[in-house]
Formats: sequence, C-alpha cells, structure tokens
Amino acid sequence: MTAGPKPRLLVIDDEVQILRLLCHALETDGFDVHAVKTGKQGLGEVAVIQPEAIILDLGLPDMDGLEVLRRLREWSQVPVLILTVRNAENDVIAALDTGADDYLTKPFRARELLARMRAILRRNRAASEPAVVRFGEIEVDLAGHLVRRSGEELHLSAKEYAVLRILVQHRGRVVTHRQILREVWGPNAELQTHYLRAYIAHLRNKLETNPRTPIHLKTESGIGYRLMED
Amino acid sequence: MRQSNIPSGPGGCLLVAVGPSPHAEKLVRSAHRAATLAGASWVAVYVETSQRLSKTAQQLLDQALTLARELGGEVVIVHDADVAAALVRVAQERKAAQIIIGQPGRRCRLRWLRRRTLADYLLKITPNVELHVIPVDAPPASRLWLRFDSMARSDWREYALVFGVIAALTGGAMLLPKTYYVQVGLVYLLGINLLSLRVGRGPILTAGVLTALTWDYIFAQPYYHFSIEHWQDLVLFVIYLAVAMIASLLTARIRAQAHNERLRQERATALFQFSRGLAEAKTLAEAAAAAVRQIDETLGTQTTVAFADEGGHSLGPDFHGSYLPSEREKVAATRAFGDRRVAGRFTESEADCAGYYVPLVRDDHAFGVLGVKLPAGVKLSLGQRDLLDAFARQLALTVERTLLRAASERERMLAESEKLHRVLLDSVSHELRTPLAVITATSDELADVNVPGGAEMVAEIREAAQRLNHLVANLLDQTRLESGALRPHLDWCDPQDLVNAAVSAAADTLSGRALEIVVPERMPFVRADFALTEQVLVNLLLNAALHTPPNTPVSITAGIEPGGQRALFSVGDRGPGFPPDLREELFKKFARGHAAAPGGLGLGLSIVRGFIAAQGGEVSLGDNPGGGAKITLYLPHFAPENPPPE
Repeated sequence: MTAGPKPRLLVIDDEVQILRLLCHALETDGFDVHAVKTGKQGLGEVAVIQPEAIILDLGLPDMDGLEVLRRLREWSQVPVLILTVRNAENDVIAALDTGADDYLTKPFRARELLARMRAILRRNRAASEPAVVRFGEIEVDLAGHLVRRSGEELHLSAKEYAVLRILVQHRGRVVTHRQILREVWGPNAELQTHYLRAYIAHLRNKLETNPRTPIHLKTESGIGYRLMED
Repeated sequence: MRQSNIPSGPGGCLLVAVGPSPHAEKLVRSAHRAATLAGASWVAVYVETSQRLSKTAQQLLDQALTLARELGGEVVIVHDADVAAALVRVAQERKAAQIIIGQPGRRCRLRWLRRRTLADYLLKITPNVELHVIPVDAPPASRLWLRFDSMARSDWREYALVFGVIAALTGGAMLLPKTYYVQVGLVYLLGINLLSLRVGRGPILTAGVLTALTWDYIFAQPYYHFSIEHWQDLVLFVIYLAVAMIASLLTARIRAQAHNERLRQERATALFQFSRGLAEAKTLAEAAAAAVRQIDETLGTQTTVAFADEGGHSLGPDFHGSYLPSEREKVAATRAFGDRRVAGRFTESEADCAGYYVPLVRDDHAFGVLGVKLPAGVKLSLGQRDLLDAFARQLALTVERTLLRAASERERMLAESEKLHRVLLDSVSHELRTPLAVITATSDELADVNVPGGAEMVAEIREAAQRLNHLVANLLDQTRLESGALRPHLDWCDPQDLVNAAVSAAADTLSGRALEIVVPERMPFVRADFALTEQVLVNLLLNAALHTPPNTPVSITAGIEPGGQRALFSVGDRGPGFPPDLREELFKKFARGHAAAPGGLGLGLSIVRGFIAAQGGEVSLGDNPGGGAKITLYLPHFAPENPPPE
C-alpha cells in the first residue's frame, strides 16, 4: 500500500476466526481495521469511524446483511465488499443491485481479498481517474474514445465500446449483467443476457490474445463480468 | 314471425320450448344447430302444467330432454298453468333473444274457427323476442285421444271408490220421499266435490256423468226412465251436469298443482338436506358418504361415488357407496367421466348396465362420477333425473372446493418446508464453510513464510481444504436436490465460459494431466443455469481425475447435437471405463464404481443427474471411443435471437 495515513476499514462479521484472519491479512497490507460482530453495531460504527470501505458478511446473526446494506445506502456511499458462500448467486446479485461494490465467495484466498479491496477503494478516488487505462497489450483512452492494441488502433462498434467502457470504469470489480444491459441497451433489455454474451464474445475476439481462454474479460458465474488488469 | 330457417343471429341465449310430442326431438335438434351456428348457448324449456302426462307422452318428453342435455343444452323445467307466460318468463330470466317453438300445420282453412296457437299468445305477450316457428306434421294422435289416454291412467281403485260412493248415496237417497229430488241432486254434488279431493280427473268426470244419469233415471219424473218430463227438470239436469263438471275439474287442477307444489317442495328439501350434508363433510370420503346416504334416502336407490385420481385426468379405482359396481358398470362410469355426460342405463351408451352414471362436472372439468342402481323394471322419472343432476352439481362443487383447500394447504406446507430447508442449508453451509475459509486463507499466508519444506506442507493443507470443501459442497448440493429447494435460473450462457469456469475450478486436481478442450468456433449460446452446469462439469472433471490413473488425459467437449435440438457437454477419460451392468447403479447416492480409488462419497453422479434433470436435460454414461469412459450431458437447445443491429 502507498504511504500516508492508513486507510480505515470496517469489517462486519460474526465469525471470530474469519475476523482475526481478515484483520491479520488486511493489517499486514497496511490497513487500519475495525471489526464488529453485528449488523447494528456495524451501522453505528460507520458514522463514528467513517471508514473508507466496509467488508460485510451477508449471514449475520442479528439482521440480514442485505438489510444492513440497504440502511447504509440510505445515507452513505462508502464502498462495500460482500462476503458470501457458494450457491448464493441470487443473494450476490441482490446485494450488488442494492449498492454493494463487489463480492467474495468463501472460502477465499487472502490475495484475492486484497486485490478486491484495492479495486473498490479506487472507486473513491474518481477525481484522480486516469484518462487512459492499460491492461495487457490494450490501452483504452476514455477521453478520446480510442482503443489501442500494442499502439495500433482497434475498431470497436459503438455498443462494443460502451460495454468495454463500463468494464474499464469498474476495472477489478464485478459488474452485473443487468447493470451493463441497462446502461447500454436501456431498462427494457435488462433480461436480454444473450445480447451481452454476444458483445462480450466480440470484445474478447478483438482484445484478448487468446479469446477462448480470456485473462482480462472474465466471466463471473451467473452474476456478471469483471475486467482484470493483470 | 318467421316460418322456419332460423338465422344465425348474434350471440346470446336461444330458447326452445319442448313438450311431450313426437316432434320434440326435431325441435331440440334444430335449436342445437341454430345455437351452434350462432355460437350461442341454448336452453330447452318444458312447462309443466297441471295436466298429467300419459306414459307415452312422458317417454317422448324424457327422450327430448335427454337429447337436449346430450347435445349440450341446458334443461329447465318450470311449473305454470300458462305455457306462454312461463316461456316468456324464462326467456327474460335468461335474456334469450330467440324462442323456437313447433307448430302443427293447419288443416282448418277457416280463420275464425282456428284455435289460437301458442305462437299467437307469445307474440301478443312479448313482441321483442324473435320467434321462430318450426312447422311439424300434425301429431299422429288427436288431442282427444291424449285426454282419454290420460284418463285411463287413473287407478281402477279410484273408479271403484267413485262407484261405491255413488251407490251409497243413491241407496240413501232412495229412502227419502220423491219430492226431495232437488236435494238429492245437491247431495250428489257434495259427493262429487268430496270425491274430487281423492280421485283423478277421469273418475271424477265419470262420476259427474253417472250421477246426472242416475238422478235423471231414478229421481226425476218420469221415474226409471231416461227422459225428462218438465222443462224445469231439464234445466236442473243441465245445470247440475255443468256445475259437477266444473267443480270437479277445478278441484282436480288444484290437486295437480298441489301435487306439483309438493314435488317441488320435496325437491327443494332434498337439495337442502343434500347440500347441508355435504357442507358438514371435511374430506372427500365424508362428502361421498353423505351424498350416498342422501340419494339412497331420497330416490330409494343404491348409490356409488368415485372421484378422479391424483392427476385429475382419469377416474380413480375406488368406489364408495351402497353398491360396488361390476367391471361392466365401471366401464360405463369411466365413459361418463371421460365424455362428461351421463352413461349407463337409460342412455344410448352402455344401456345394458344396471346403473345410471352422472359425471361430477364443473367448468367442463370432471371431478368424478355419481352412479345409481335401481331394481330392474324401475325407471327414473324426469324429475328424479333432474334431481340427480342437481345432486351431481352440488357434489362436484364440494369436490372442487375440497381439492382447492387441500391444494392451498399443500402449497403452504411446501413453502414452509422450503423455508425451513433454506434456513437449515444456510446455517449448515455457513458453519461448515467458515473453518474451511480460515484454513484456505491461512495456508495462503503461510506460503509466504520461508520455512524449509514449508511450501510442500502448505500445498498439502490447501489440497486437503479443497477436497473437504468439495465434499461439503456435494453434501449440500445433494440436500438441496432432495429438499426440492433447487430452482434453476435459466439464462443464456456462453459454452466456452462454462467450460473455462469448470476447468479453472478443477485445475488443481487436474494438474499433471493432458487436458483436451473442444468447443466449436461460433458455438451458439445455450440456455442453462450457469452455476449448476458449471458445478456439474466440475464434478465430472473431478470424477475423471479421481477414477483414472494419474497422468492419463482428460477431455471436455461442448457442441450442438446434429438436428440442433440439444446442446451437449461431455467429459471423457482414458481410465477403465464403466462396467455396463453398473451404469444405472452409479447414478444412485453413495454408489461407487469397482475401480473407484478410495475417497469420494459417491455423490458426484447423483448430483450431476439431479442438476441436469432440473434444467430439463439428460445424462448418459458411455464408452469413450479409443478406451475409457465418457459422460455426456444433454440440455434442450434453441437458438437465441440476435441482438438488435446498431
């Protein structure tokens, strides 16, 4: 992590072991971690410590994690990372639609957690958003609406570019199907996932070195897509 | 007024007046045809007057009304002395726009001699209704014949009573002085009026004529002679005859009306009792028992009831009631159920049966059959059949209500059990996953610590955790399948994505093996639940790794079946293959092949089949060409529409 004041994080999880683990991993990486065990305490703490990001377990003893998120979003836009278990795609989608920024499925690896954390923290620094984003051989010039591969300009259709732009803006973070469909094709197309699949396939063909095993335009099972920078 | 050719008017109700005539069937058929052409519903109306019907007439009427029912018409029977008024009343109640009646051709040319017909009356009362008169041939029997026929129906005992009373009165009167002959006439009149309370129309008319003649013969001058001396006596005779006739006929009509009234009352009471009996029933069996008891009591029959089976498409095998139908009778009952119309005795189909079977129909849906058995020779009257029909409707309503109640109860229980399962799954899932998450993440941390041999140990921990995690996942998936809590979320999936996701999830276990991935270029998207299908493919890959020697190749293939009806995914290996006799067994829970390496619970294939079946697909086990086993998944396929052009 970069120098300067340590970014404050709030972890809301009732599992002591997970808490200890998260604290250890995050503190080692240079975060200032506060932990609480219930949703109520969590909501109270947010106002007091004003964290830069929150890690929220969806399965809390006192109240539904989704409910915590909903109440939080009534007054705060602090980035939230959701912890969940496998087979809970619907819960994840609901949480992302409610305003969560990303999710992590248990069991997870520490380095995955740190990568997600860094990606969602970047959202808060939108002011310093670079005009040009690079991943692999690809360079996306958001100001100039240009995409280059090893310096050579690629031709993308308007919709292809629109899909790519959303992924680039949320790079490192998951974007749900619905979110992309709504932004690119309008609210009536929210269920037309095959449009999106078709455009992602086009984009992979143009951007990936090996489109069949993409390393940048990643599919998130049943949830959406994620642009990986490395 | 039109003479025939019923036009196909706009929808609405069509009414046909049916009477005890040989032409009634023709009328019913015309009405049916006209209603079908117009797409309208139709009602056959019979107006019961005080006139009692002969056996022949009753039979004709029964046939016509039965035909009307069979052709899909509604049958309405009303009681009224005024046929035209009753027809108009029914027409107004049913909002009928057209009335069809039959009318014999006129032989009498002289207009003023012609009797006013029903059509004339109807037109007078209701000019708004379209009236169609269907000409029919004159009835083969004259009205007079019909009257005599109806007279002859009275019991011989009534005639005996009439003769006895007249004889007694005459005997008593002969003891009086001859000058009291006017009073004798009055006594006779009293006798006739009293008799008319007990006997029918025929005997009472006979009594009127007989007493008049007796009076003339015995009491009027000249005595013991049928002639009359004084013209005053002649007037007396004529007036006596007229008063006797009118008084007796009026009384007879009132009696008939009272009789009809009583029948109606009985019918209403029977229906009331019936519906009360049904209302108290809590289960179908109780409802059946109540219905059987009530019908046996009301109609003096033996009764049986059978309900539709679980699916509601065929008649269940269990009959409840006061008799159990034979196989032959069951055929009739089944036909009644299937055709949704009466069958068995008194009908055209299975007429040789002893029982008469009425389907329990509501909104064109049959809920069961009601059967009644009468002793040989006993017939069901029209009124009784009507009543039975009403019983059947009531019972159908009760059955429907009971079924709906049961369904909503079941739905509620299912929802509750699903909720419970979900809560349980969530908490078990949480409890089991948490320590695993800790182990996995900690081993990651440890990997960074430089301890000699540490990396290998960490790898061991990680592999153990992964295996445990997979095991837990399988157990939870199996529970999910069995609890019925699995609701696939079908969506368009890129097959390449599915294969990639599965391969990367199984990558650690497959390390060291040659992995062949075949996904056709431009393979269309498939409609599937991404997570479930991915899980299935992961299970197949892990199974292949577990059951084949290390370092043997594994292949994963996607494609569309020739014909384009199904998408397929298959995982093949170069291991020992499946023993043919064990293939079906392997899908069972905890089943493991002979050659299975130690490890694994044997849940893999059971989950694979469950997840694929939930998405409407199938799984088949086969041999991999060139040796080894191959498992193929088939999913229903149809091509997605293209995205709109930009």
